[in-house]
Amino acid sequence: MVETLARGGTVTASGLAAQLPITRQAVSKHLNALRGAELVSASRIGRETHYKLRPQPLDDAAHWIQMVSAEWDDRLEALRRSLEKRRSRS
Amino acid sequence: MKLRDSTEVDEGAPWVERETLVETSPEEVWEALTDEDRLEEWMAPDVELDPVEGGEIAVRDGDDERSGTVETVEEGERFAFTWSRPGEGESFVEFTIEALHGGSRVTVVETPTHSAATNTAAGSIATTGGGWGPRLAGLRHALRFALVA
Repeated sequence: MVETLARGGTVTASGLAAQLPITRQAVSKHLNALRGAELVSASRIGRETHYKLRPQPLDDAAHWIQMVSAEWDDRLEALRRSLEKRRSRS
Repeated sequence: MKLRDSTEVDEGAPWVERETLVETSPEEVWEALTDEDRLEEWMAPDVELDPVEGGEIAVRDGDDERSGTVETVEEGERFAFTWSRPGEGESFVEFTIEALHGGSRVTVVETPTHSAATNTAAGSIATTGGGWGPRLAGLRHALRFALVA
């Protein structure tokens, strides 16, 4: 659903339902969950509510994950080398 | 405190899990993870560690300094602590050692202890308010539903 939102710019619940193998009711439920999590914003245009992805929180998470993953990859590689060095000495 | 069943860890918080395979026994890995001199061989040039639950840990690498508290000490199996840089959010770090034929698997997990922390940890401005832990929880919830639907 997030992928579909990311592709489509601004969408309506019916528009989303047409693209996904789930009912409009299920889409509305998901959109409400995403709104509650501030991952999507909603605006009313006429009788319809249009939804839009708010990517910022995901960017923050992705950045943190990327940074911390790289740090641990480096540290674990250093740990592995330190253990191998000791092993070859004994 | 064990990470996986801990209530203190925000389920929606970002989660990093990395592992490495080594040709050394869990006992040797344990020493490398919990002895401060051994930690200085690979973690950072200056490490202080009191390897008991509630003990202190300090990791310094030049100007970069983190400190925290040891949370779990299960000899040869699990070692966990919290750490943070001054003024930044705290993370929980857990090492798990698993014996394999002819070696060990070392897994490390790091996750923020509370969601707001990561806005700072990520180096971004905390303008989004309330952290994105709850938002990610919502996303996970939504994705889980989307998967079964």
